[in-house]
Amino acid sequence: MTVDALMNWFAKLGDFPELAFILAVLICAVPVFLFIALYALVAIYGELKISSFMQDKVGPMGQGVGLHAGKWGLLQPVADALKLILKEDIIPTSADKKLFILAPFIVFIGAFIAFAALPFNQNLIIADMNIGIFYILAVSSLGVIGLIMAGWSSNNKWSLYGAMRSAAQIVSYEIPAALSIIAVIMLTGTLSMQGIIQHQSGFVWGILPNWIIFQNPFTFVAFFIFFISGLAECNRTPFDIPEAESELVAGAFTEYSGMRYAFFFLSEYANMFIVSGIAVTAFLGGWQSPIPGIFTSPAWGLWWFMSKAMFLIFVMIWFRWTFPRLRVDQLMNVCWKGFTPIAMVNIFGVGIWHLMLG
Amino acid sequence: MKKYFANIWGTITTLKTGMGITWRHMINIKKDNVTLQYPEERWPRPERDIGFEHEDYNVIRSRLHVDIDDCIGCLKCERACPVDCIKIDTIKAPTRGEDIPDIGHTGVTENGTNKALVVSRFTIDMSECCYCNLCVYPCPEECIYMVGGPNSPKHPIDYEFSEFNRKDLIYEFSKPLTSEQKSELMNPKPDAEA
Repeated sequence: MTVDALMNWFAKLGDFPELAFILAVLICAVPVFLFIALYALVAIYGELKISSFMQDKVGPMGQGVGLHAGKWGLLQPVADALKLILKEDIIPTSADKKLFILAPFIVFIGAFIAFAALPFNQNLIIADMNIGIFYILAVSSLGVIGLIMAGWSSNNKWSLYGAMRSAAQIVSYEIPAALSIIAVIMLTGTLSMQGIIQHQSGFVWGILPNWIIFQNPFTFVAFFIFFISGLAECNRTPFDIPEAESELVAGAFTEYSGMRYAFFFLSEYANMFIVSGIAVTAFLGGWQSPIPGIFTSPAWGLWWFMSKAMFLIFVMIWFRWTFPRLRVDQLMNVCWKGFTPIAMVNIFGVGIWHLMLG
Repeated sequence: MKKYFANIWGTITTLKTGMGITWRHMINIKKDNVTLQYPEERWPRPERDIGFEHEDYNVIRSRLHVDIDDCIGCLKCERACPVDCIKIDTIKAPTRGEDIPDIGHTGVTENGTNKALVVSRFTIDMSECCYCNLCVYPCPEECIYMVGGPNSPKHPIDYEFSEFNRKDLIYEFSKPLTSEQKSELMNPKPDAEA
């Protein structure tokens, strides 16, 4: 939508379609990057504070004299980001230099381009493609190539182990995630992100908003399968065996420092937002208000989308500080023996329910 | 098959229990918090009574203190100090045993000694002090001693010695003198001598 609007506007100025396309894309890309950076600061602050609260600590606090982290430690993520940017950028001598330099950017691009199809409200979506959700699922797994590049080029056993585990995990968990999205697509009949959200307006069962999660018991299960598979795809605890700081130092990121490490970090948080964004769009009504009919303006739409997404990110942080890490075999058990068969059954269930009762 | 679903059910319920625990800790953070914001909050200090009177137990090595009015500037403590953390500068007083009220100098010590020197600087660097107590014994006027132990009536307990600036650990005991006052003391005017 935004890209189209910009291109139409450029078309009025003159006849230069190729340049107009490049300009429109660049103008959309800058705010998205700023949004990711800003959101990452908020999420890191939330992670620091919530993790501390769950462990009966207070987290970063700015009290006392001299340089400190501001009121309630609000400046702590800014200080962290500055530190990461200013740190020395070390490339190991035995590393494959080209791949080593390229890897963090590929991981980041995988997260970054998925933002193009996230609908922030009725109008604010960079490109409302008719294959939106398929596009996001496809490009968000691009990051795994970057991870393998990072692990291989570092020439380090921890990195390679981390990258291999990460690849195995992401490829496996794509399947239950995509299968539970199929259940959604069967109900909505469209792959477009805006189309999926528009399908979810009004009421269901009399009082509940007509979100897909409430439409039938099978989609309720599908939501949890998708959310947890998404958690595994962004390598968050309890599925963080690729990073596993107690056994693999930092997994594929072991040899990285400074700016490049910051990019891995940024893309990890961006991936969390993408998973939350898809879950909100596909199951929780996107920018639809929880009370259908009121608070429906675009500004409220942005608020509902962001608050739902941030709530899911809070749940991810909550998971991280509650659950212990799964072992590799347990991880694969959960995926292949748990989620995949249930997601398959879900597809049939949703279809039968829709035929009989829909 | 039954075991499979029992497993799933067990997983869901136990995860719920775990999340409940962390949630309760998070919302009760005000009550459960164990972190002290150190410089602003401190643990309560234990009672000072340890069963001894101060006189019986005054060798506790807590912090050096100097009664500068009694100091005659003999430099014995400076020489005794094994780490050279005591620094003393002296200027010859115009008249022996006479008060100089301008700079707060007293002429006679508590023991009745007439002071011949004005102590213009008496600093102890507490970051270097090794609490060996060796400077206390040679002092002829008994004006340098350890304070702040339990039951010490004179001085508050400071068990931390923590400062935000390292320079604040250099304790200055002498009366502050301006450079004019110093030069006046060093070069007495002829008519003042007469």
